[in-house]
Amino acid sequence: MKLRNPYLKENLTGYLFILPQTLLFLLFIVYPIIEGIRLSFYKVQFQKETFVGFDNYSALFSDPIFFKAVGNTVVFVVFIVLLTVIFSLFVASAVFDKNAKYVSFIRGSYYIPVMVSMVVMSMIWSFLLNPANGLISFTARQLDLSTVNLLGDKKLVLPVVIFVTFATNVGQAIILYIASMIGVPKDLFEAAEVDGASRLKVIFRILIPLVKPTTIYITIINIIAVLKIFVVIQMLTGGGPNNASVTLMYYLYNNAFKYNQLGIASAVGVIMFVITLLLSVPQLRALFKDK
Amino acid sequence: MLKKRLFAAVPAVALTVGLLAGCSGNNGNSGEEASGSASAGAGKDKVEISVWLTPQWKGAFDSTESDADYDSFFKYAADKFVKQYDKYDAKINVQVIAGDQRDELLNVNLNGGTPPDVFFESVFAMGDYAHRGALVPLNDIVDDAAKSDIAQGYWDNVTFGNDIYFYPFSNNPGTLAYNADMFRAAGLDSFVGGESEIKTWTLDEYNQILEALKTKLPKDKYSNAYPMALYALNNQGDTWNLAYLRMFGNKFFDDQGNIVLDDENGVKAAEWLRNLYKSGYTNPGAESVSSNDANAMFLNQQLAVSFTNPVLFNNAKADMAAGKAPKFDVRLANIPSVSGDPLTFTYVVGASVFKTGDDKRTEVAKDFVKFFSSDPELVKASKNSIPVRSSVISEFKDQFPLFEAYDKNSAHLFSFTGNVPGYSELRQVLYPELQAMYIGEKTPAEAVKDYQAKGNEVIQKARQNSVLNK
Repeated sequence: MKLRNPYLKENLTGYLFILPQTLLFLLFIVYPIIEGIRLSFYKVQFQKETFVGFDNYSALFSDPIFFKAVGNTVVFVVFIVLLTVIFSLFVASAVFDKNAKYVSFIRGSYYIPVMVSMVVMSMIWSFLLNPANGLISFTARQLDLSTVNLLGDKKLVLPVVIFVTFATNVGQAIILYIASMIGVPKDLFEAAEVDGASRLKVIFRILIPLVKPTTIYITIINIIAVLKIFVVIQMLTGGGPNNASVTLMYYLYNNAFKYNQLGIASAVGVIMFVITLLLSVPQLRALFKDK
Repeated sequence: MLKKRLFAAVPAVALTVGLLAGCSGNNGNSGEEASGSASAGAGKDKVEISVWLTPQWKGAFDSTESDADYDSFFKYAADKFVKQYDKYDAKINVQVIAGDQRDELLNVNLNGGTPPDVFFESVFAMGDYAHRGALVPLNDIVDDAAKSDIAQGYWDNVTFGNDIYFYPFSNNPGTLAYNADMFRAAGLDSFVGGESEIKTWTLDEYNQILEALKTKLPKDKYSNAYPMALYALNNQGDTWNLAYLRMFGNKFFDDQGNIVLDDENGVKAAEWLRNLYKSGYTNPGAESVSSNDANAMFLNQQLAVSFTNPVLFNNAKADMAAGKAPKFDVRLANIPSVSGDPLTFTYVVGASVFKTGDDKRTEVAKDFVKFFSSDPELVKASKNSIPVRSSVISEFKDQFPLFEAYDKNSAHLFSFTGNVPGYSELRQVLYPELQAMYIGEKTPAEAVKDYQAKGNEVIQKARQNSVLNK
């Protein structure tokens, strides 16, 4: 067969190369999204599906736990992303121009927790924090301090989960920042040095503005990751105490797999998808504009 | 140039086709391979079924066997079944799944159209699947011999609507376990029962025991030890929490199957629990401690009184004998109540068959369930908990004196599920309320009231959706 369209002929190889990924994308991403949207309008039972319109959404909006899940998720996103960006900027700007071995050591130390599975990390934290036989509670008792249940206190459980997630994930942001900072042209620093700029000025006037695309990228991927925060909640708190640490993803999971309310779970999924989309569009636009 | 590009494109296409083939290859589950193809050797159709179970007892018949594990019995039974089975060339895959992951795994597989063929588990946790129409009735595999050997009470327990959905194998009565060494160390010798006894204390006596354990237990010998286990992290072990809520005489369900916990006695029980917790008679942090944690603490001698059932009790004893856990004198007691009569409940354990849409697999699954639930040798494995068959009990009663004690207890059995639909979801409602009560967010009266309101809503919704009521 001879291809008549020269434009198509020119790009055929390119299209063939992206074909596998496109097919997988359609099959595993686009199709589930469409199916999720469809299911959110149905009541799903083992033997039948019944169209119920917006009933699942109205059930969600009349459930106080759903709003608690939204609130908690927002708190997690804001604090974990802020902490990650600020802390990784601090570490990266402090070490990026030091000797290569030292930089590698810092990078490695912060990256180890990222490589360990979140499940394993959560189990270790659970061992430390368990109020009955955990190491932290045990030490507190040995020191004659009162019993502190960090996971059983409504005010403390969110900060604890924020800290655990932040500590586990910050390594990736540090790696990205260091790589990006090493790529900043050296002549800018030399010029700043000649002009007598202080280290702080160099960081705030040169480094941070020049790594802005990295900041945007880190912010987006962390927002998306934290919106889906689940493992820590499942392993550490089970959403407790009394739903104080329940997140959207955990709420979705409970509805889908524990209560078998697939319609409601799909409605939560659709809402999360819309939120993620709304948050990502302006950021992606900014990223592409900069490039 | 084009030639070169086409040359590059060929591997890309091949890769795509390969990947897609890989995907579709994985789609088929055991069932699809199962139907049809005749096996060359025996000339019979090949049928492959999957059997899932949650951890019950270790070993085929005894936990002292070498390589004893939770799947040993079913592997042995499958082997024996396959050797004598003449209808098909059967293959049985056995898989143990975690109890707290049961509903997640089943829901995912039911929605994906790949349920297991056979599931062996406590009936109370599986009743919802009968209500949802996911199980096959087993009336046709229950014969008169089985009906006369297994008491009617057990058949009532596994009958939903008009049909039998589970083949009773054994039962697991829930009681308390206590560390008799710790009791003696706290000067509680007079409260220690016999080795083959399920000791019954009055509620006043039980309160005295907790007081003595809190104040008199030597700290040098038992550091970081607490009198009683209390947990509310999730729904695991919640039946004991349900039993505690009945201690002051509340009957929990009314005749229509609605929760009626919110009365004077229900609130008193909740207050009793909260006061125990607040006054330090239990392990700290009950709101974030699971029953597994509590059991581990009991085995570690950090708790003097905990929950147990025959399987947990026998496993604990076996671990102590094998040197895997510290040795101590562990004994059984009843959950006390204000009336003086003990509170006791039992989990009937048995197999159910899921609807897979494949007649051959369903046939083999039913044949396998009937085989291992009635084979004279295999049913002896029920001695690891409490057998439901009178023939097995009479065979082993001299060897296991506790069988008689459990039998005596059965006069005080209460039905903790009330046979209500939606029981699985109902279990998800209790522990958040207990957590709220333990952390002081709600008073016991508020927690009880909210549990009743939310619980009845769940039951009402499930009743409307149940296929058995239509």
